[in-house]
Amino acid sequence: MADAPEQRKVFAPWLDTTQKPLIRFENVTKRFGDYTALDNLTLDIYEREFFALLGPSGCGKTTMLRLLAGFETPTSGRILIGGEDISHVPPNKRPVNMMFQSYALFPHMTVEKNIGFGLKQEGQSAEAINERVKEMLALVQLEPFAQRKPHQLSGGQRQRVALARSLAKRPTLLLLDEPLGALDKKLREKTQFELMTLQEKLGMTFMIVTHDQEEAMTMASRIAVMDKGVVMQLDTPSDIYEAPNSRYVADFIGNVNFIECTVISHNGQEYQLKDKQGNQFRLISEVQLETGSTIWLAVRPEKVIVSKEQPQGDVNAVQGIVWDIAYSGDTSTYHVRLPDGTTLKSEMANLRRVRNRPITWEDTVWLSWSLTAAVPLKR
Amino acid sequence: MKKTFVHFKKLAVSALVATTLALSVSGVSSAEERTLNVYNWSDYVDNDVLKEFTEKTGIKVNYDVFDTNELLETKLLAGASGYDLVVPSANFLGRQIEAGVFQKLDKSKIPNLSNSWDMINQRIAAYDPGNEYSVNYLWGTIGIGYSEEKVKKALPDAPVDSWDMVFKPEVASKLAECGIYVLDSPSEIIPPAMKYLGLDPTDLSADNLKKVEEMLLKVRPYIKKFHSSEYITALANGDICVAVGYSGDIFQAESRAAEAKNGITVKYSVPKEGSLMWFDQMAIPKDAKNVAEAHEFINFLMEPKNMARISDAVSYANGNKASQEFIKKEITSNPAIYPTEDVLKNLFTMLPFDSKTQRLVNRTWTAVKSGQ
Amino acid sequence: MQRQFDWGRFLLIAIPFLWLLIFFLLPFAIVVKISLSDTANALPPYVPTLNLSEGWSGITSFFSQLDLESFAWLLDDKIYFLSYLNSLKIAFISTLLTLLIGYPMAYGLAKAPQRWRTVLLMLVILPFWTSFLIRVYAWIGILKPEGLLNMGLMSIGLIDQPLAIINTPTAVYIGIVYSYLPFLVLPLYATLEKLDQTLIEAALDLGCSPIQAFWKVTFPLSLPGVVAGCFLVFIPAMGEFVIPDLLGGSDTIMIGKTLWSEFFGNRDWPVASAVAVVLLLSLVVPIVIFQRIQERQREAEA
Repeated sequence: MADAPEQRKVFAPWLDTTQKPLIRFENVTKRFGDYTALDNLTLDIYEREFFALLGPSGCGKTTMLRLLAGFETPTSGRILIGGEDISHVPPNKRPVNMMFQSYALFPHMTVEKNIGFGLKQEGQSAEAINERVKEMLALVQLEPFAQRKPHQLSGGQRQRVALARSLAKRPTLLLLDEPLGALDKKLREKTQFELMTLQEKLGMTFMIVTHDQEEAMTMASRIAVMDKGVVMQLDTPSDIYEAPNSRYVADFIGNVNFIECTVISHNGQEYQLKDKQGNQFRLISEVQLETGSTIWLAVRPEKVIVSKEQPQGDVNAVQGIVWDIAYSGDTSTYHVRLPDGTTLKSEMANLRRVRNRPITWEDTVWLSWSLTAAVPLKR
Repeated sequence: MKKTFVHFKKLAVSALVATTLALSVSGVSSAEERTLNVYNWSDYVDNDVLKEFTEKTGIKVNYDVFDTNELLETKLLAGASGYDLVVPSANFLGRQIEAGVFQKLDKSKIPNLSNSWDMINQRIAAYDPGNEYSVNYLWGTIGIGYSEEKVKKALPDAPVDSWDMVFKPEVASKLAECGIYVLDSPSEIIPPAMKYLGLDPTDLSADNLKKVEEMLLKVRPYIKKFHSSEYITALANGDICVAVGYSGDIFQAESRAAEAKNGITVKYSVPKEGSLMWFDQMAIPKDAKNVAEAHEFINFLMEPKNMARISDAVSYANGNKASQEFIKKEITSNPAIYPTEDVLKNLFTMLPFDSKTQRLVNRTWTAVKSGQ
Repeated sequence: MQRQFDWGRFLLIAIPFLWLLIFFLLPFAIVVKISLSDTANALPPYVPTLNLSEGWSGITSFFSQLDLESFAWLLDDKIYFLSYLNSLKIAFISTLLTLLIGYPMAYGLAKAPQRWRTVLLMLVILPFWTSFLIRVYAWIGILKPEGLLNMGLMSIGLIDQPLAIINTPTAVYIGIVYSYLPFLVLPLYATLEKLDQTLIEAALDLGCSPIQAFWKVTFPLSLPGVVAGCFLVFIPAMGEFVIPDLLGGSDTIMIGKTLWSEFFGNRDWPVASAVAVVLLLSLVVPIVIFQRIQERQREAEA
């Protein structure tokens, strides 16, 4: 586990122009009556990726998954797997398996029969099925439960049966529809790591649909943040977080403060900005900003420092009154009201015990952030 | 005995008439509501006579209909039927009297009994000794109805006045081509069949019944259907050419065919080997609530003109001698309705069966019909 | 501390039991009593009747006169056995036919777009608004030689002679299938409608064609509905009287008709009651099986 992030760092086939994508969405549009679920989507997914589709319900992520599984056909455009157009191939003829959000275990079959279902359907011999089922049971550590029926299992066990069943056929692509949604938080975190390990071990391509940004951040090699049938941003988790391309993405992933500003002037990569109240900010950014244009500064709360004394040095700072403090154990979030009535948030690690905390409600405080902490967003 | 199963439409219509009648007369009867609950065969009355009875006496008539003797009997035997006047066939009446179902009539309240026909009363005495419990309503015969043209075509010299028509395989096989229906009523077909075989129809022993069964099984393949009412329409439409049935029903078929002008002439004959005569009797159940009203009703019907209207309406003879001068000529002069002395000689009556015999007769019938 | 007697709870349990006692057990006891009596030309037409005025001796003489004669009689004549057998055959075949027709109907209903379902369900239930008897009579009008079906077929030239359907076993099957179809369709629809659609998708995903998915997933999971529906058809079809009487021929012997002729034709209430007791007992067995299956199903779902 320890070296996993290292491995993923070098794993970036999307940057390699010689790599052929495993899955390609080509101008795919899907409409249900008047409703457009996917709007002219073009997207590549590479082999061995752990690809996450993230977005609120109704954003089109489930439609994408169902298009890949074959339960829906695109209204226009093509979907290719390994270079082959599969847009109109029925689900049972696709090298794709799906793990359903509800697990969709066959209630009239034992765990063993459920896992072996797809293999039997392929016409494999009884021994081959038996062996593979054993292997799968071992993989998900459910050997003692082979003869149980789904209703005799716990939620976590069912989730693992569903996973084993969808993996049994060694699909080229595994689709996971909110696979952890029904689990409690602890089990979910544990399973997230299990899934990642498994994916690396099996060398398979996973595509996961989730509305849980933390889950996507933890597991995915790349995340597509979707909204209203459109991919807003497609990037690695860190890029999505550190360099969101829009207020929508910045807001969807984690917590963020927005400050609407006008660009006054710049000197190379250092920009001079001014908000509506006349507060001036400085920003160092690689993004080209036009003088006179309106932009939004996005600052993550954990990059905003709250202090009683005016901060010294090369930072942006504003003054306000502590309106609220949200304590969540390891950190506390300070909601500071500025003179114009807007609120900025600052998340501070609770390095000291709460009772020794120097800042409390109604205190006048300074909020500050470094010149590189904020991201300028044009939309 | 009229029919064991009535055509549904007719049943529905009679029920409707009975209901509207009950509704319309309920307006007439006022303060002290006098009612009478009558249970009679379906299509077996002139509704104007009922209306007139209510107008004259102020007694509201609830007129219900049944279509099998068995249904009536089961209601009576179960007790508390709620009826004040019922009309079973005489052979059923016989054993019902024995079972203690009926009360004796108070003849002082039925002065019109003087109009009754001795010839009928004498025959009925076999079932109801001394005519103490019942008064004849209508009576008739069982015989052969046939379509003249069709029979002639199938078998030019067909013995239309003989049971050979249906009981002789050589004849029946020919007539089967144009279709034979037989009444679905064991107690009315088996005795004439015995007579046909030269057996004593009152000796319903297992041996005799076996012989009848054998004979009937031989002609069974030529009988299109056993049914107790469908033959009226079938005969009139020309779907069949021979039907063993009740006299009045055959006459209904006759008039229907004549109305349709479809080139079919329906005829009725009482076979010369002998056939059954049946009587439908008015009687008052022991537990009747409106006994006085029931007597009044019987007395009203026994008025010659009233009874004549009923015979006119349903083409059956009645047991009211005095009514004959008021009945339409074509009915009284029809020997098939009012038989001549010659025909009467060929007619016989059956006494009620005991339960063991009844079972044997029914079982024989089931064996004939189903082959089991 | 003594727990107070819970009257509410007692009543809750007592009422259905009392209901069963009064409307099922008591009538059944009466029927059993009649079946043990002997026929007589009397009012009611059997002996003995209980005479309480004679006190204890009346009761003992009443019981001493009861016997199993009527049941012995059922063994004497093969007609009863044949009737049961034939009823069994007709009920079985009818149930099978009803299932063959009803399953696609229920399936279609469950798959129909939501906005259509109410209307379609209504169409299934609608015939119930008319009297059962009238609906069966209507079939006479359809099936008879000069009826709608034959006239229609003849007018389009498919046949030149009317088909003999009425008064044959075929007509009985048609009547039973028609009359009991809703009893099969409704429970089956309820089962199919509840069926999780993603299970079918899972089967497709794992390599099933739509037909294979039906047989491997939909059908096995709809079995409780199939069993419930089949029993609801089979049990009343077994004792059916009206349909064979109106639509069947004289050679269609069924236990309901035999019972009718014992009761009405032979006036033999004891034998008729014996037939009814045997019929009831022969139906109790499948009913008990059915209940067991339902119970197991409920346990599984719990």
